[in-house]
Amino acid sequence: MAVAWRSQAGFQLLGNQCENSLFTIHYLQFTIQITMIYFTELDHLPVYGVKGEYLGRLEDLCVDPSQNSLRVASYLVKTPKKALLCITHEQMQSLSVRAGQTSVSREELRCYAPDEGLLHVKKDILDQQIIDVNNRKVVRVNDVDFDIQPTDHHTELRIVAVNVGLAAALRRLLQGFVAKHTVRMITSLFPTKTIPWEFVNLIEPDPQRRVKLRLSYDRVAELHPADIADILEELSRDDQKAVIEGLDEETAAQALSEIPTRMQADLLESISAEKAADIVEEMPPDEAADVLQELSPETSAEVLADMEKEEANEVRELLGFEENTAGALMTTEYVVVHESAAVEGAIAALRSFEGLLESIHVIYLVDDHVVLAGAVPVGRILLSEASMPLKELATDPLISVPSHLAATSVVDLFHKYNLISLPVVDDGGHLIGVVAADDILELVINKKQFR
Amino acid sequence: MNRERLRHFRTRLLIFLAVLGPGIITANVDNDAGGIYTYSVAGAKFGYSLLWTLVPITVALIVVQEMVARMGVVTGKGLADLIREEYGFRTTFILMMLLLGADLGNTIADFAGLASGMSAFGVTRYIAVPLGALLVWALVVKGTYRFVEKVFLAACVFYVAYPVSCFLAHPKWPDAVISTLKPSFQFSAGYFYMLIGVVGTTITPWMQFYLQAAVVEKGIKVKEYIYSRWDVIVGCIITDVVAFFIIVACAATIYVSGNRQINGAGDAALALRPLAGHAASALFAFGLCNASLFSACILPLATAYYVCEGLGMEAGINKRFHEAPTFYWLYTTLIVLGALAVMLLSEAKQIPIILFSQVANGILLPFVLIFMLRLVNRDDLMGKYKNSRLFNNIAWVTCVVMIALTLVLVVSAFFPNKLPA
Repeated sequence: MAVAWRSQAGFQLLGNQCENSLFTIHYLQFTIQITMIYFTELDHLPVYGVKGEYLGRLEDLCVDPSQNSLRVASYLVKTPKKALLCITHEQMQSLSVRAGQTSVSREELRCYAPDEGLLHVKKDILDQQIIDVNNRKVVRVNDVDFDIQPTDHHTELRIVAVNVGLAAALRRLLQGFVAKHTVRMITSLFPTKTIPWEFVNLIEPDPQRRVKLRLSYDRVAELHPADIADILEELSRDDQKAVIEGLDEETAAQALSEIPTRMQADLLESISAEKAADIVEEMPPDEAADVLQELSPETSAEVLADMEKEEANEVRELLGFEENTAGALMTTEYVVVHESAAVEGAIAALRSFEGLLESIHVIYLVDDHVVLAGAVPVGRILLSEASMPLKELATDPLISVPSHLAATSVVDLFHKYNLISLPVVDDGGHLIGVVAADDILELVINKKQFR
Repeated sequence: MNRERLRHFRTRLLIFLAVLGPGIITANVDNDAGGIYTYSVAGAKFGYSLLWTLVPITVALIVVQEMVARMGVVTGKGLADLIREEYGFRTTFILMMLLLGADLGNTIADFAGLASGMSAFGVTRYIAVPLGALLVWALVVKGTYRFVEKVFLAACVFYVAYPVSCFLAHPKWPDAVISTLKPSFQFSAGYFYMLIGVVGTTITPWMQFYLQAAVVEKGIKVKEYIYSRWDVIVGCIITDVVAFFIIVACAATIYVSGNRQINGAGDAALALRPLAGHAASALFAFGLCNASLFSACILPLATAYYVCEGLGMEAGINKRFHEAPTFYWLYTTLIVLGALAVMLLSEAKQIPIILFSQVANGILLPFVLIFMLRLVNRDDLMGKYKNSRLFNNIAWVTCVVMIALTLVLVVSAFFPNKLPA
């Protein structure tokens, strides 16, 4: 592992250096090009002016994402009088684990003016929760690793990774009590766990600051919705909101469908009704109906009003069914063709289907009055001639349930006949929806957990 | 119109019942083996005369618990999380280690309480303690949050054993009620020490962590906060009502009998037998077993929970063993150590551990309360839900008094001989 090697190299250097009184970057230049320094080692580092006058202790590091998302743009130094000085990276002549040396005098330094657009390493990253996109997990940051590089006449720090391992925890504990090279020696004995900076996704609840810091959740959006859901469940409400707001509606809807309904409702209530409506629209109608039922009547009405008419009507229909019946379980997203159609008709219907194709396993046949007439598995369609009438491919016997059948009976039917989907009909035998196996699985698992 | 109102009331009641849990459970665990012992001694030694302290104690408990519950609901984060984010890793680590030590001591005290309670039924500790340990371990490792919470709420119901036992002891009700409402003071060191003891067992550091984490895990919404507040208030009142009955039961019997020396919570149950009858005695012992088992489950659970939370490791009952190994190992270790200590060490040898845990609790409480008060007043965290000025003054006064009393308790723990019996 490159990172492990680097820190090892850094340690050896420090070991050699501890005899010398000053440990400067210029020296490093001749021995090795890259070395690693940890935020814990920089925290409270004494910083001196050009004439050797003591300025204060390093308080925080700032990155300016609008210029360079990796480079430390400025160093905040707290003077003995508790004033915060801001030293730009050009002014920082050299930096080591022992001290910082600026190329300007105290008079030339300006005081720090709070800037929301700057990323503060200590305040915004250290000890905060971040999303590890690579491992699809939420973790808490123990330390931040920097790559230290001398550039013409000044030193540059670049964020390399965040550290979440035991070694970093130990470093935090020991720093300040034990000499820095001893800390490196001790911590090198423990496993270190780093997350490269490109896989780190910070969480910022304030939407305006998110824009300023150029935080995006594009990398999170690329994850599987179920993984995003797991990440969401780990976060506090404000942080959940931040992530959901940063995702596109479709991904947000898919991820939301995977978290407990109560949490869904909670989240949707915390964001604007407009955004909530956009997300609910993208959810499968049965999920949408479930979550709307959980929302307060006012919010639910508001969201329904903001939704596209067609989607809203589908959801409204589902909302009419009593809880724990086939009607409440079913979705209205399915593929249906006329019973006289042939295989090519079914394929055309599939092509024009707008919902999630992965969830379609069976195509339903209806007569002129939308009365259910048959069910054809997609697999059979795949292997048949284009002109084959669908009726001949239909499964026999055709199993369907009335919408008022209890959910437990539906589960039994799925179990008994090994179904992957089950059509639901009204009293007149009209096809009104389909119960899918994944919803049954969810129901069974939830039941088991509640005991 | 009336029906409309009734339905409205019914929905609100249903929401309350859904939110109910964290506050009531936390407050009830407060009456653990140590608490029951303290109240029994208070009743046995001083009769009804310490009852009045329960009123201010209830108020203090509500003030403190309400703040953490509010923080949990509003921020959606646990107290350990918030402390870590605000005060850094080292502070959090030291706090967590002290809490770990303090809670190990409390766990031992709880298993000792179980042994003591079961011995009143003639069951030896070598059977009662391992069985109890296995039961609480399996409950959490194999159960989910909702299931565990239901069991905990059921355990709360069994505290009714104390009021019933108290009625069987036929106390002088008018005296008891008057003593509760009318403060009185005896100027003796023993009385003062007892008073501090009663106060000291009430507000403990771990409770704050547990309550906030439970509120967060339950996912209570800001809109439902009002119900959560009632959960806390009802819980605190129930707790101190139970304490009231324990004190009254012991005051009506042991104190009146003249032989006022009891050495353990189980002793109180045995002392009740000749004075109030077998039924009262058995109920008292049963209450003790229930409380001990209950706390022996929640304490290690809470400890494992917030230690993992603060140090950034996975935690939660809804996770499986391999998903949150540190959490489950910590939980298991605490229970095993607690149970082993009670089985292998003689009572004299348990005392230094319990003393240490009292001291650790005392050192911790100021930090936890002050961190809490500073966090609950932060604009960026709490927004409009931060303390009002009046509430803040009450909270600071409460916390300062609590801290002062706890420190006195800690210091006096080192000089037991200086105190009159």
